[in-house]
Amino acid sequence: MRRWGPWIALGVVVAVALAVVLWPNGEQSPAARAHELETQLKCPECQGLSVADSQAPTSRAIRTDIKRRVAAGQSDEEIRQSYIDRYGDSILLAPEDSGVSLLVWILPVVVLALGATGIVFALRRNREEPHLHPTDADERLVERSRADG
Amino acid sequence: MKHPARVVALAVALVVVVLGVVLALNVGNDPEQDAKQSHLVGKAAPDFDLPNLAGGRVKLADVAGKATIVNFWNSWCIPCQQEAPALQQFFAAHKDDSDFVMVGIVRDDTTGDVRAYVKKNQVGWTIALDPENVAALDFATRGQPETYAISPGGLVAAAKYGPMSSTELESFLAAARASG
Amino acid sequence: MKAALGYAAVAFGAGASVVGITALLAGLQLRDAFLLRFGRRCVFVVLLAAVAAAGVMEWALLTHDFSLRYVAENNATGTPLLYTITGLWAALEGSILLWAVILGGYLTFVVLKFRRRASDPLVAIATITGLVVALFFFALMLGPANPFRELATVPVDGRGPNPLLQNHVLMAFHPPILYLGYVGFTVPFMFGIAALVTGRFGEGWLADTRRATLVAWGFLTVGIILGAWWSYEVLGWGGFWAWDPVENASLLPWLTGTAFIHSVIVQERRGMLRVWNLSLVIATFCLTILGTFLTRSGVIDSVHAFTQSDIGPWLLAFLGVVAATGIGLVAWRGDQLRAPGRIDSAVSRESAFLANNLLFAGLAFVVLLGTVFPLIAEALRGSRLSVGEPYFDRMATPIGLALLFLMAAAPALPWRATSGEVVRNRLLVPAWIGGLTMLGAVVLGARGLAEILAYGLGAFATAGIVRQFALGIRGRRRALGESRAVALGRATRSNPRLYGGLVVHFGVVLIAVVLAASSAYGANRDVKLARGQSATVSGYTLTYLRSHTERSDQKTTVSADIKVERGDRLLGTYSPAISTYPNSTEGIGTPSVHTGVADDVYLTLVSSPNSQQRITLGVRINPMIVWLWIGGGFMALGTVLALAPRLRHRSRPLRTSAVAPGPDHDPEPRDPEPREEVSV
Repeated sequence: MRRWGPWIALGVVVAVALAVVLWPNGEQSPAARAHELETQLKCPECQGLSVADSQAPTSRAIRTDIKRRVAAGQSDEEIRQSYIDRYGDSILLAPEDSGVSLLVWILPVVVLALGATGIVFALRRNREEPHLHPTDADERLVERSRADG
Repeated sequence: MKHPARVVALAVALVVVVLGVVLALNVGNDPEQDAKQSHLVGKAAPDFDLPNLAGGRVKLADVAGKATIVNFWNSWCIPCQQEAPALQQFFAAHKDDSDFVMVGIVRDDTTGDVRAYVKKNQVGWTIALDPENVAALDFATRGQPETYAISPGGLVAAAKYGPMSSTELESFLAAARASG
Repeated sequence: MKAALGYAAVAFGAGASVVGITALLAGLQLRDAFLLRFGRRCVFVVLLAAVAAAGVMEWALLTHDFSLRYVAENNATGTPLLYTITGLWAALEGSILLWAVILGGYLTFVVLKFRRRASDPLVAIATITGLVVALFFFALMLGPANPFRELATVPVDGRGPNPLLQNHVLMAFHPPILYLGYVGFTVPFMFGIAALVTGRFGEGWLADTRRATLVAWGFLTVGIILGAWWSYEVLGWGGFWAWDPVENASLLPWLTGTAFIHSVIVQERRGMLRVWNLSLVIATFCLTILGTFLTRSGVIDSVHAFTQSDIGPWLLAFLGVVAATGIGLVAWRGDQLRAPGRIDSAVSRESAFLANNLLFAGLAFVVLLGTVFPLIAEALRGSRLSVGEPYFDRMATPIGLALLFLMAAAPALPWRATSGEVVRNRLLVPAWIGGLTMLGAVVLGARGLAEILAYGLGAFATAGIVRQFALGIRGRRRALGESRAVALGRATRSNPRLYGGLVVHFGVVLIAVVLAASSAYGANRDVKLARGQSATVSGYTLTYLRSHTERSDQKTTVSADIKVERGDRLLGTYSPAISTYPNSTEGIGTPSVHTGVADDVYLTLVSSPNSQQRITLGVRINPMIVWLWIGGGFMALGTVLALAPRLRHRSRPLRTSAVAPGPDHDPEPRDPEPREEVSV
């Protein structure tokens, strides 16, 4: 028990920290919601930057529009959908998790799982091969050493 | 498994071949052009209701039943200045057509600067002001200049981001008329 | 005349490659030492030819010879001297030329280093492989990427380099250093292919190329960090990494390369993971070619897509050949490579390295998939979609945190096997330091899950690093009674790989902490200011003093002087600017940054003074950015340290040369197994 004591205490400390962070603390502020949405939309006139990061005029217009919509009470999903309706799917910086887009989220998990499984199997296989049956070479070795005395 | 290396190598080869095919199909793309295809082509044109520079308002309903060219621009963007002569020429050629209307929508600019530009360059077509970028976002613009062709029935027939040439303007008008 | 000279040099290089390959092949077949030596000498000719071609190009640039299309497109009479010189790598054709020069250099290094083993088939085949790669690049320059193409009518003045490429002195460093990294991975690749072809899979090739691999990795690391610095200081959007396809293209070989430099340690110590290492090394080289393809073929939209070109199909074809060769060789020989060693326990350093490799390979897969997925989606559903920062951040963060944990725990794990108790005792104090740091961060207000985990694991790892150094020092003090400082120096120099690696890890911890902090904090606001007006953002006061307009032949620059204060302490005057170039329609913004220990104040001029003399100023407060560059510095320092030769104990009697290991032979204790596998 003494060996584990300090580790259990450490576990408690970490759990407390995690609990504080993960505790549901109510709604996001409108500013935070707007910022979150801004990071999810791509600036239409840039190459790959989000609306939150870009200084282009269209981005700034979209930022203003998002703030207006959040203040008007639209939900995140509604706001995203209104942009998809106008600009197409490619305005979203992270693919939705439906249809073909699901692949991009699932494949890495599958690959990592396969890799981990492969490693575990390799470890197991390595360990399950104790040579319990003497081979001919072993027998001869024993004979020779007996003969040597 | 007797030959794990071979099996894994085969799986990797498969993935590499798929990747290679996908890449090969896309060689020679112009990604900038692809990114600028408008999503609105073939759909109903968004409604707009904006102040008219000459007073009053301009609405989508005002151009119903006519082939409309909508041009987003402002007075300080350099490509807009590049396409200005083509626009002038095009408007002069068609302004008397009964089924044709041209509307310029100004974004990111001040009324004073727009008025000065219109006066200096004798811009003859309707100019609407969009300081809040409402129409710009409704039309899913990507910047300026951006031009849309709207059919008499209210469908977006064609769209382009970038300065227009005379030939392109003519083909936009033809597309708008053809869409019905 | 210059065009003819340059083209001739390129043709000469291609010819020398062909001659070299032929001579080496013949020499191998006929076991003729003269032919082998001749073939090797062709490598010197290849280097000379590439250097000559580059020299001619620089000459053309410096004399503003606009009869060459490359010079006309990337240089103008008004271009400053520095950017005239860097014009060599400002566009595609020049980059290929630079690649050829660096490749020639690395091949020469290999030939010189192995000159005493010239008759060894392994070395000969490696050299042939290297020459084949060189031949490809010379062929590119003879065909689609010809830097010496002439113009029918010579323009009066050139177009000048892209405005973004003449903005900052980093242009002189970032591309060459990046290429020194990319191209360097050709060396282990050459030897990997040679090992597969000759069937000699022992650690010979590994030990021989270890230094070159580490050098390449070091350059690639610094190159990527300089790229991030450029993105931050030059591009003006306020960030340093956008998961842009070209950034990802440089990251991919770095990920597999990092996996490789860890798993080779397992191969050296235990003789295991041979097939995996060979595959990694081939994959890394393939990824460098893939990266060049993605950057140069226009397949994917990117900030780096400066030039469209025809070399896409060529690069793809070459990549296909290399991949097919590599996969084929591994499939053919792979099962003969089964290692005698095995992993004895899940709680061992071998397992930790295996987990490390799994995570790095997984991360590489994520980055590759995300980068090409828009293309796959288009093939499957007909319309594009975007894969950007939210995707990469969400996938990479758990993997990164797991790697941080490994970094913290692995140094305490012994080789082979151990009891859980030993490990627990070693890790207890560092783990507590990590846990208390987590709690402390929460107490101080941090609320992001990934963020506090990063702080905690980073502290855990740092404590582990300090512990390793302390153990090393303590051991020497007990045995030899040295002072702390001397003990530190000698301990480090007697095991430079370990301590160099620990210093690199510390750099990684710094970078991880910055990544965590920057995602959680920071402010981003646009303020409109009239002359003399101030605004306050996050405790910093910004006052618009005045604006300047500078006109030159090359550009017109409008800048605004902004006074930055914190409280009542003056931090300085900074001048963000917008430049317009005659040949470009848009203004290029130049940010101005106040770098502080805790924050950067990042200023951009969003719009120049309007009719009422008001400017719009973009203000970003970016936390802890300077520690990114410091972390990068530690990584570079650690790499240099790891490359240092071992200090041998002078107290031991010198062995005779017949028995003593060569200078690069690693004398660490090793499993008693044959150096070369006997194929069964």
